[in-house]
Parts: sequence; C-alpha cells; structure tokens
Amino acid sequence: MIIEEEFAVDAALAHVWQCIRDPGFVAPCVPGCQDVEDIGDGAYRAAVKVGIGPIKTTFNLDIEVLEETPPTFARVETRGQEGTNASRLTAKSELTLTASGNDATHVHYKSDVQVVGRLAKFGLGIMKKKAKALGAEFAENFRNAAEA
Amino acid sequence: MEFHQPTTLDDALTLLAADPEALPLAGGATLVAMLNAELIEPSALVSLGGICELHTIEATPEGGLRLGAMLSHATLASEARLTGGNAVMRQAAAQIAHPAVRNIGTLGGAVAHGDPSSDLPAALVAADAVIEVAGPSGRRSIAAEGFFEDYLTTALEEGEMVAAVILPPQPESAVGHYEKFARVHGDYATLSVAVVLAMASGKCSHVRIALGAAGATPVRVVAAEARLIGSSLDAGAISEAAALLTAASDPVDDVRGSADYRLMLVPRLLTRALAAAGGAP
Repeated sequence: MIIEEEFAVDAALAHVWQCIRDPGFVAPCVPGCQDVEDIGDGAYRAAVKVGIGPIKTTFNLDIEVLEETPPTFARVETRGQEGTNASRLTAKSELTLTASGNDATHVHYKSDVQVVGRLAKFGLGIMKKKAKALGAEFAENFRNAAEA
Repeated sequence: MEFHQPTTLDDALTLLAADPEALPLAGGATLVAMLNAELIEPSALVSLGGICELHTIEATPEGGLRLGAMLSHATLASEARLTGGNAVMRQAAAQIAHPAVRNIGTLGGAVAHGDPSSDLPAALVAADAVIEVAGPSGRRSIAAEGFFEDYLTTALEEGEMVAAVILPPQPESAVGHYEKFARVHGDYATLSVAVVLAMASGKCSHVRIALGAAGATPVRVVAAEARLIGSSLDAGAISEAAALLTAASDPVDDVRGSADYRLMLVPRLLTRALAAAGGAP
C-alpha cells in the first residue's frame, strides 16, 4: 500500500533537515517508538509498538538511508519483523523537503509499505487508515518539536 | 492459555483484573476467529457463558429494555419486544452474517469488539442506546454514541466488560429500520444506514440516523437530523441531510467497495431507509 502525506513546519529548511536526520530527535516523535540505535553508515535499529484494539505487536525495524541529497531529499528502506517472525514489513520511502520562504518548510513523504504474515490477514483497509493516523500523529509531534 | 468459566460477574471481573492479558470470551464468533488467525494471543480466556445475569432481557422502569450482554444475535432477531423505534436493533441483528454465526455471536461481544462495519454499532447509536459497563471499580453507563472511539477501540478500560445494553423507550409513533447494502447475503456491510423515525401529520417529528461502515465509528450528524425534522422528508431535505452525512464519513477502501463507492451509497441508502421507516412522501 502507498502512504503519502505532507505537512508544513514553521522552521527553516536547514533546521528541519537537521532534525529529521537526527534519530534522537525523530524517535520520540514516532508513535510507539521504544528505542532507536544508530549502528552507523546511515543505518538504524528501532522497536516500534503498534496496535489496533486487541491486536498489538512490536516491530523490530532495520532502517537504512540508501541515498540522500542534503538538505532536501532522502530515500530510506525499512525492513522489520515481529519478535516471532509472524509478520514481516518492508517500506520503501522517499522524503522531500522544500523551503517555502525563509522560515517555513514543506515536508512530503511517500512510502510503499508491504506487510506479509499474520497481520496481513487483518485487511488492508483499516491498516491503511491506521498508518495514516500514525502519520498524522508523527507530523504533529515533529512539527511541535521542530518549531520549539 | 488458561480457560476460566466463572458463574458470577464478580468472579469474571476478578479474573480479568488479576491478568491484564486475559480476554473475556462471549460467543467467540469473532474472538475465536481472531485466535485462529493468530491476531491475538491472550494469556487466558474468561468465558462469560455461565453467568446467568448476562442472559436476561427485562423491561426498564422508564419503558425501555435492558438486554444482557450474552444474548445471541438470533435471540435479538426474534425478540418480540424490539418493536417501534427499537425494531432497528431486531433488524440489524437479523442481518448479521448467517444463522450459525447469529446463534453463537452475542450482543456484548459485538459491542465490545467495536467493528464499525459490523451491524449492531450503528443500530445502537440510532436507537440512542446506553452501554452498561462492569469493571473492577463498579458499573458505569456510557451512551452508545460516545462508546465507539476508533476501529476496534471502545471506551472500555482495562478490566472492564460490557454487561448490558439499555434501549430507551422510543417516541410513540417511531419506526426503526436498518438498511444494509452488502456484496452478497451474509457479508459485512459495504455501507449501512440505521434510522429511528417518527412522523406526525406528514412531517418528521423525530429522527436519529447512524451510518455503519462509513468511518472508524458509527457516523451520526446532528445537523443532518435537524435538517429533516419538521420537513415532509421531501427529496431536497433528504439530499441535504445526505450531503452532511457524506461529508462526515471517511470509509475505508477495501474489497467490499472503494471509499468513493461507499460515499455514493449514502444518499441512496438514506432515501431507502427513511421510506422503509414510514417516511415515504
């Protein structure tokens, strides 16, 4: 499924780029993100807890920045699995930042997310809505933190 | 996984309070299917089947009905006291899946599961029902409209469960109707409209409408109802009410229909539901 979102941040492009490339800054903005580890060379490990009602899980994610053009573009690949390997997730994402004036930045991201395994039985409709809601929550958290 | 079969509500609540990973098991129509699909992994199941008070139907002093959480959909579908406006509940229950599912699935289970594409939530909101919740700190009552919070997420807190549903007395001349559109008989709704309508001298005197499968929770829009009250339910009034309901809806895209398709169903099903409830001009 394709998840595409955009939001505006009232901060200069260079500052927003700096924030978004700092795992210590981004991790607390990601809903359910429990810990993040920088393993070098643009690669990170994180554990993210997600749930819909009684269905709860933690994904262990390997995140790799494959390509970047500071301060405007990054291509990221995320692979993850539940602790038991019962579901696997792959996300190919592109992040684009655009300056809109001196003190405002437009953030756009597009992810192609694939989920296989037990969680895929759940149906894509609600999963997509949930991903959108988490994206909106992340945007809100990130905006507040970056503008502070 | 442990399996408990308490015979009193207090015992069930004690078992649930002792283990946050335990789940109450009502009929199992959905919960057991989710277990089989490995979507949930509770540490224990607390079966509610042996708790007598959850199986009762009684009239309330106000003139409504109190329905125990363990009543099956089949029981509701044949309950003669669900008449007038509250017939919306009987009709919704009668259209859930197939007889085998209606025989095991329960009112409380469906309410606690909080699936917006299932049939009872919209009917409960249209009927202005109240959900009676039992938990470690006693009982509390929550209006159905505020009970459903998100996909599969309700106002139930940890250790709480649905004990009963209270249907209020409806206006004297009210008629309830549940209009469901599904790809095939027995499927989840692509969209549904639950309505409780009363007409007086050719004008709408009372109406409550809730849409199912139109968003994360049943969709109710007070302004849409206000547009209909006092009208003769002419095509113009219905079309304006439908536009307000459509604007408040945010359905999913899935195999049962695209979001756009579901939105196009809103005015059509609303017109049918109001006509079936006696509002045909």
